[in-house]
Amino acid sequence: MISLKGVSKKYSKDSMGLELVDLQIDPGEFVSVVGQSGTGKTTLVKLIIAEEKPTAGEINVGGWDITKIKSHEVPFLRRQIGVVFQDFKLLPKRTVYENVAFALEVAGETHSRIAEVVPKVLDIVNLKNKGDRYPHQLSGGEQQRVVIARSLVHRPKILVADEPTGNLDAVNTQEVMEILKRINEFGTTILLVTHNKDIVNQLRRRVITLHNGRIIADEKEGKYRL
Amino acid sequence: MLALIRIFKFALQDIGRNLGLSFMTILILVLMLMSVNTLIIINILTSQAITSVKGQIDVSVFFQPEATDKNIEEIKSYLNAFPEVTEITYLNKDQVLENFKNLHKNNPDIMASLEELGENPLGATLIVKTREPEDYTKIVAALSLPEYENLIEAKTFADSEVAIQKIEKITKQVEKFTAGVSALFALIAFLIIFNTIRVAIYTQRIEISIKKLVGASNWFVRGPYLAESLVFALVAVLFTAVFVGFALKLIDPYLMIVFGGEPVLTNYYLSHIILLTSVQFFGVLLLTMFSSMLAMRKHLRV
Repeated sequence: MISLKGVSKKYSKDSMGLELVDLQIDPGEFVSVVGQSGTGKTTLVKLIIAEEKPTAGEINVGGWDITKIKSHEVPFLRRQIGVVFQDFKLLPKRTVYENVAFALEVAGETHSRIAEVVPKVLDIVNLKNKGDRYPHQLSGGEQQRVVIARSLVHRPKILVADEPTGNLDAVNTQEVMEILKRINEFGTTILLVTHNKDIVNQLRRRVITLHNGRIIADEKEGKYRL
Repeated sequence: MLALIRIFKFALQDIGRNLGLSFMTILILVLMLMSVNTLIIINILTSQAITSVKGQIDVSVFFQPEATDKNIEEIKSYLNAFPEVTEITYLNKDQVLENFKNLHKNNPDIMASLEELGENPLGATLIVKTREPEDYTKIVAALSLPEYENLIEAKTFADSEVAIQKIEKITKQVEKFTAGVSALFALIAFLIIFNTIRVAIYTQRIEISIKKLVGASNWFVRGPYLAESLVFALVAVLFTAVFVGFALKLIDPYLMIVFGGEPVLTNYYLSHIILLTSVQFFGVLLLTMFSSMLAMRKHLRV
């Protein structure tokens, strides 16, 4: 599903994002990427969603060769990858329903398709009854769930979550993690980038540890070791 | 089609969000178009003024009272042979006297002198019109033959060349000034549109990043800004067309006093309205699109 071979990303002479990373993530896996700040976690996310290009190596995501991907092909790749960030990135002047529908609108989907898909994904994240609320009327956890719902509208094969619980309290964190686990059960590959020791340890899934841009540990049922 | 509708929907939403800036952009475009239309009006007025001046000038050939109809007919045929001559009007002695009396009916001294003479002292007259004002000197020279010396009393010809040259000189100066103003407005419009799009990109940076994140195509991200340019061009051209139409209707009655006849400007404008508005629309569209493209290239990474 995701494969990196000898991938390096150099931003400047003294700034190395990633260095010679080899990684293989199979369909349906739930992988946590951990590491201290500045170790290359976000660089890894940016490379996978083709926001950055590697300086060296090969990246393959869902059949797309990211190294050679053309600018006009990137939107089609992004429709196969759901992305969730720490800063929710919701449109404040649109309702929950409209925020989720927006992802389908920009992809050129019809009104009937939008009317069919949006309630379904809002149901998955338990927000079916809050479609007419605006982001500022929701809690942090609910806002993050809207983002997750929006990332699901294209039925992605991969969901990349970069610190999705970074701004949430323990209760909301738990809620978001439950939803991510449920999405994973549907067969979606999850790549979770996090600092949160508790959720990594609780998950008991594969853990990749990054340090100074290199993978220093990759365990099938790992724990947060830093 | 659906994507196009949504692109326009986003563009209109953005215009609404930045209403003040959008209004300024359209205003500058309208001012630019107004100066371009002023140039066009000046051109129409110049050609109308020149035609009018040309139409009013002619060569009058005054014959001696002794000149016979045969002599006059011979000279008329001689002049008709010139390709430059477009029209010759013959006024016999009585008509010349009648015109003279009409012209001086308020001058009792002249009228009394005529009475005293008892007979018509005036000879017949030929009024000659040519294609171009410069042809008149040729006609005057052609009539200066020795055999006509005793028949022709005088030849008059107002020097219209000087008047025409003056009109053309003034027109060129005004045209230069208006073209300069148009260019200035075009530059201002370019900079304002560039800034409008730049501000739009800045205020919508979150929306743009979300669009890119959820897989909007590059054209779906860029499209609204180009659609905005199209809306600016369309509104500016339509407003200018209506405004200029009304302005010409107001100006024309005054011009009809000067030039007589029909409403020159309105007639010209209405008969060329499709050509004028489409040329102006595509011109403005080119300017706005170029400006938007440049702003996007500089500030919008897709």
